[in-house]
Amino acid sequence: QRSPPPAERKAAQPRPAFTDEAVQTLLYKMTGLDLRKVFRPVKKGLRPPHYKLMTEAQLEEATRKAIEEAKTKLIMPPVLNEREPIDDVLAEDKVLEGTETAKYVFTDLSYSIPHRERFIVVREPNGVLRKATWEERDRMIQIFFPKEGRRVIPPTLFKDENLGAVFQQDRHEDVLNMCIAQFEPDSPDYIRVHRRTYEDIETHGKYDLLRSTRHFGGMVWYLLSRKKADGLLIDMISRDLVEDAASLITLYHMLHPDCQSAKEAKEGKLQGVDLIKAFVKTESQREGYIQLALQAYEEAMATSSAS
Amino acid sequence: PPSPYKDRPWEYLESEEYRATYGDKPVWHGYRRNHKGSVPPQRTRKACLRRGKHVGTPCPICRDRNLLVDFRNVKLLDQFICPHSGAIFHPIHTGICMQQHRRLAQAIAQAQDHGLLWIHVPFVPVPEEDFSNQHAAVGKTPPAPALKGPGQAWYPWYEWQQPPAAAVARMRHNYQGFLKENYPDTPPS
Repeated sequence: QRSPPPAERKAAQPRPAFTDEAVQTLLYKMTGLDLRKVFRPVKKGLRPPHYKLMTEAQLEEATRKAIEEAKTKLIMPPVLNEREPIDDVLAEDKVLEGTETAKYVFTDLSYSIPHRERFIVVREPNGVLRKATWEERDRMIQIFFPKEGRRVIPPTLFKDENLGAVFQQDRHEDVLNMCIAQFEPDSPDYIRVHRRTYEDIETHGKYDLLRSTRHFGGMVWYLLSRKKADGLLIDMISRDLVEDAASLITLYHMLHPDCQSAKEAKEGKLQGVDLIKAFVKTESQREGYIQLALQAYEEAMATSSAS
Repeated sequence: PPSPYKDRPWEYLESEEYRATYGDKPVWHGYRRNHKGSVPPQRTRKACLRRGKHVGTPCPICRDRNLLVDFRNVKLLDQFICPHSGAIFHPIHTGICMQQHRRLAQAIAQAQDHGLLWIHVPFVPVPEEDFSNQHAAVGKTPPAPALKGPGQAWYPWYEWQQPPAAAVARMRHNYQGFLKENYPDTPPS
């Protein structure tokens, strides 16, 4: 169980980070926990299904265990800035110029050091001894310490031309999982693929594909930092997820505390539907759609409470 | 003669001709191998085209000149993959020759690489390591003193160094009878 959020984090630091407790709790609540989607059957081989006869207590125990396992599957991958390129020269030996025709890569193969502290250096034919670049590092580490799901040369899937074909098959989640397996979280390829996926989801409104997966938090963070929360808001309201919509607006206010609706919300201490209405009046671009969706939701609530 | 669908093999699978020949069934449905005895050999024939000659009963892919094994016609490749487990059928099951099976496996791998076919993505947990890049292996380190200016030599022994007096005295004592007179102690200019 995650610890309860601290009450009202003040904007003491200039900007909340992705890893803050409050932010993570809000994102986790929005992700939802649909056990049927997290543990959906994967193509593995045809076997007859197992049936178990359980009492109520056993069923609760099994559900609790399933929720624990699902939580480990929903840990969000980190959102980092692009890494700085490495271009340090360690030595320049003019005596070696002209002796070799190829570069030599020396990798420290000690087993117990983490990969980020491994020294990998390259001796060029002109005698310069430099630290290896990030791409060379990743390739060498994959050759000597192969990781499951990662290939030495990344699949052609990750090139911009081929990503479009995959998005048409609605396989955004698979693309993001493969990206996590293949690239490091701070590499430019990882960031490019993630941004492209999030933009494609936003243009087509396919937010539900990522709900209940570990990528939902990253997507929300990306959209909110670019102030593109409208489509997601409409989607949430149309699926009757008003608490999630309210937490989305709270997160928006935490990220952009200077906007009009943030100030109004802080003064009036608005909650729930009022918060959404305040946001809609001042900040959103698609006011009409959101008003319609809110109206439909309120009518549905009125009819259900009346009946 | 070369097939009219040589450059666009996926169009054949949508055409009337294909529909009339195969209907809804996969391409290899109904094909029966000719072999001696009740148990078939555990490998199909090596190739249907050997030394320029075609065999009498070609395999389901070789008998139709419009069916081309290419990573782009996903519909044909899908017919040879099990819909439940995602594995490629054994050539005994489908009846294709070993050469076509090898080309088919390569085309399926290429299609999965390009993202046109479904591929099983294993769940890789999020790596928990320090991403700050502060360590000397990946961060900036101060450059060596010799790299700062062009005038300095990289190693001190690139230039002539005065040897220690004890070593000079020892050499003189060892080669006493052979030293030239007036041999200078200073370095040659």
